[in-house]
Amino acid sequence: MSKTIEKLKASRYYGLILLCAMLLFFYGIFKILTPSNFGSLSNLYTYLQSSIIYSVGGCGLYFIVVMGLFDFAVGANIVLSSIVGVILAQKYGYAGFIVGCLGCGTLIGFLIGMLYNSLNVPSMIVTVGLMLIFESIAVYVAGGVKQTLPENLRFFSGAPGNIILAGLAFLLMYFILNYTKIGTYCNAIGSNEFVAKNMGIDVKKYKLIGFMLLHFFVGIMAILTVSYGTTMTALTGMSTMSRNFQPLMGTFFGVAFRKYKMPIIAIIVGEFIITIIFNGFVALGAPTTVQNIVTGGALLAIVSLTARGAKGSVVK
Amino acid sequence: MSDKVLLVAEHIDKRFGITHAVNDVSLTINAGEIRALIGENGSGKSTFSQMLCGIYTIGGGTFTLDGKELHCRNQVEANNEGVAIIVQEMGTLSGLTVAENIFLGHEEPFMHMGVKDTRAMNKAAQRLLNEYGFERVKASDMIDLYNFEDRKLVEIVKATYMKPKILVVDETTTALSQNGRYELYKIMDAIRADGRSVIFISHDLGEVLTHTDTISVLRDGEYIATVQTKDMTEDDLKRLMVGREIGTAYYRTDYGETISGEVVVSVKNVNVPGEIHDVSFELHRGEILGFGGLSECGMHEVGKAIFGASWDRTGSVTLADGTQINDIPTAIKHSIAYASKNRDVESIIINESIRNNIVLPSLDDLADHGLLNNKKLTAFADKYAAEMQTKMQNVNQFVSDLSGGNKQKVVLARWIGKGSDILVLDSPTRGIDVKVKQAIYGLMADLRKQGKSIIMISEEIPELLGMADRILVMKDGRINGEFLRDPNLSEEDLIAKMV
Repeated sequence: MSKTIEKLKASRYYGLILLCAMLLFFYGIFKILTPSNFGSLSNLYTYLQSSIIYSVGGCGLYFIVVMGLFDFAVGANIVLSSIVGVILAQKYGYAGFIVGCLGCGTLIGFLIGMLYNSLNVPSMIVTVGLMLIFESIAVYVAGGVKQTLPENLRFFSGAPGNIILAGLAFLLMYFILNYTKIGTYCNAIGSNEFVAKNMGIDVKKYKLIGFMLLHFFVGIMAILTVSYGTTMTALTGMSTMSRNFQPLMGTFFGVAFRKYKMPIIAIIVGEFIITIIFNGFVALGAPTTVQNIVTGGALLAIVSLTARGAKGSVVK
Repeated sequence: MSDKVLLVAEHIDKRFGITHAVNDVSLTINAGEIRALIGENGSGKSTFSQMLCGIYTIGGGTFTLDGKELHCRNQVEANNEGVAIIVQEMGTLSGLTVAENIFLGHEEPFMHMGVKDTRAMNKAAQRLLNEYGFERVKASDMIDLYNFEDRKLVEIVKATYMKPKILVVDETTTALSQNGRYELYKIMDAIRADGRSVIFISHDLGEVLTHTDTISVLRDGEYIATVQTKDMTEDDLKRLMVGREIGTAYYRTDYGETISGEVVVSVKNVNVPGEIHDVSFELHRGEILGFGGLSECGMHEVGKAIFGASWDRTGSVTLADGTQINDIPTAIKHSIAYASKNRDVESIIINESIRNNIVLPSLDDLADHGLLNNKKLTAFADKYAAEMQTKMQNVNQFVSDLSGGNKQKVVLARWIGKGSDILVLDSPTRGIDVKVKQAIYGLMADLRKQGKSIIMISEEIPELLGMADRILVMKDGRINGEFLRDPNLSEEDLIAKMV
């Protein structure tokens, strides 16, 4: 009997039920607290459109987080790739916009991966250093002025464009994880790098691929971000740091639900839950500080419920 | 066994810094042969086989398999050349499915234009698992769902499905229950029957004598001899391994001594969900209390429970002065020591020096007004490492450089230095050669004479019979039998209570 329960608890359905329960829980709380200005169908649709932008970044981050790596340059890349994309869009239309964002994003991923592999220092240190450099390059590229996406190039600013693009990104992520060696190898490297090496896996190559994939997805996120906001301003002094965290929250969900073999759904629903919490607080009129405290607390609670190690196990 | 030579190792050599791990070893293995490779810890047998399997680079010499010289840079290249290995520790990777683990590094048959056919991979893996009789393992499940032994079985499938010409089994049986061992022996026999060969590394001389055709002995990195198994006894092998006669006092020889009436630890109604149920017993002063049973009978958890390291424990562990042991700091403060079965992960800080490992629980005692003195720490570590006759360059050497037996000596030196009165030793001689075993048994007997109390948890029945004053046999998480020290007590008596 206990084995059946254990088996059930490890099934995909159980993971799905957990996600839905969490979603309903947070939705229910805010709906009860502020029924008039939170949670209507149109509100939910807006939350979804906002959350899928972060979900795309969350998918990218998944590739390196499962390998035990980290990247602080995601925010800086969103800004730089957006600016490059907008500048090229002004000259070459959609082609320039898409190629600019995706190309710049992936190139940055390549540079980070190469530098990480050659310097052989922790990814956190490499990416903090590069974040400062990319922020400055963005200011230089933007010429110190705010870059605005031309009005005729805003297909991805709302539905259906943003949903189509994000959907394609999720499908790509699903394909890579399930139908290429990359997903398997990223997990293997994260599990035991030494054994992975002994299995003939070129660890450096797959770490480089991981960074490139992350920043390719960041490039997609840049398209969605600048389309949604229509402008992008380059700022220095680590101001892009805050952009790292919301995609990362979704990744935490993805890693936590990896055992249910549904990381992508977990990232999407997880980001949606975080967005619901943010918007719930906005609807309540709570100050930003309180919003952040409760959102951080909710994230810790959710992840500890789903991904907490067994009692006594070592967690780092 | 055929006369055809399958593997030729010529002048194989390997150094790690100043350590000459494998020194000019040459040997041949015939097709259809199970060859045991035995030797003390640090004799070079694992290093030798890991060079063959591409885990270590070859320092010097050549391996020639079926007429082709090998230059494997990793396990996958070795697999492709017809060499596979099953390792002692965990060889499967978390976060991957069973199928992904089985075919890791060998995905090509399932790749079409860079796209992986996951369904076909799962199907092929399941077919293999079924062929091996492991139907209960599902190929599409995450490997994390399975326990250590099932994961080891998956590893056996992974290492053997491609029908390697040579399979290296590196001290794998210590991780397996009796059933798991039978499965492995069957697979080894099948490989031999198929005209392929096995290199079998084990410290269990009984299974070496039962399941191999020939035995090669290494000592201090050097090749000593290859002998026919049928001509050998355990004593012959010990002599070859150590280079001298092992004394007769391998185990205790005293019988009939009464156990002291003074109870030092009283364990009452201890439960750990899913592990042990309602376990009660008393440990007396100067007693060696043995715990035996099948590997998952719960005896290992008993050791943790006494040391306060078992989470979710209920019931009580009480010392003679009434102190309740519910956590590790209290246990250490009250003179309880614990050496885990899982030495490298739970007992030793592998990437630290011998000195820092030995002084760790004694820092408070060694500090003067809260300040530590380097010289004093080194002298302390020197004293106890020397007392344990640890084979090392000096106490600043990293523990990771030591053999299994010497790591265990460091663990024991730590607790002897701390002056612990109650020692919980879980599998104290696991993966350890006969010479170090003899030293550890001698130490246990000395400690017992000094009035120290020892709980010895062991999967080796002769060790329990030879060393314990009293033996508790566990089955399914409960104590199922109790035996007093007696020369007439037999392995069968204990096994009857285990199964």
